[in-house]
Amino acid sequence: MSTCSHRWSMVNIQNGYLVVEGCRQCKARASFFSAEASPPVDDYQDGEHYWTYLGSSQAVKFDLACDECGQVVDLKTMMGLMLSTCNEPDCEVARIAAEGGRGTWVYVAFCADSTHASGRCVSDEGITALGEYFNANINDPNKKIVVVPCRKCKNIDTCDGIVIADTGLVDIY
Amino acid sequence: MKISELVEKAGLRSLTDYKDQEIAGVYISDMVSDIITGAKADGILVTLQTHKSLIAAANLVDVAAVVFVRGKKPADDVVQLAKKAGIGLFTIDTDTWSFAKKLNELGIK
Repeated sequence: MSTCSHRWSMVNIQNGYLVVEGCRQCKARASFFSAEASPPVDDYQDGEHYWTYLGSSQAVKFDLACDECGQVVDLKTMMGLMLSTCNEPDCEVARIAAEGGRGTWVYVAFCADSTHASGRCVSDEGITALGEYFNANINDPNKKIVVVPCRKCKNIDTCDGIVIADTGLVDIY
Repeated sequence: MKISELVEKAGLRSLTDYKDQEIAGVYISDMVSDIITGAKADGILVTLQTHKSLIAAANLVDVAAVVFVRGKKPADDVVQLAKKAGIGLFTIDTDTWSFAKKLNELGIK
């Protein structure tokens, strides 16, 4: 276990698109990050799933590296961040926000598979590093950022929150 | 320079109460995904973007104030979220380039 009191910086910053797709058969939703010049919109089959493009937004991906010990935390599994405004009594994210009280802001780090059928989500190591990174830059002693993985949401697809995404920026109406 | 001094010298119109703190720097962006990688704590953010997700991003990196150029004003729910986050909101009629020049003249970089 590391004894370093990490000082994180963003590294491997990549601009691209967060692409959301849905399966025509089972109605599952999935998302992935594309660093291509324009987001891929083609339908395709992958095993039992028939994925259809649902939409995309400009997005950024990054990893965190410690300036002290050189450790790099891979955040490949994180698709984005959402400021939680959930107040469902049986949602763990809402409970964490309520327990934190005034000045605590809960951000949900969401992964590619909202069903968590694979059992995977954003890693604990990634969640810890994100929390340390964002709080290290805050000078207000009454303010705290809490980052939680989306597996803690009762249902990430319906959870109330404000997603940090540039939806619609490339559209002309 | 403190925010109140900038308000006076640049002719900003405040949309919320604000904490009169030293300005640590400035970042200009209309993309929320860019703000979380570029904006710094206690700085001001200059933007055209009035969407609520802008406040979610600005709060995450602890931006002190947001200046909307071209006279833009966000909706009430955006103002309420900014108030809760303690982020001062301002508007100015000039465009981004003109306001950036003004900030540079005032020594805010």
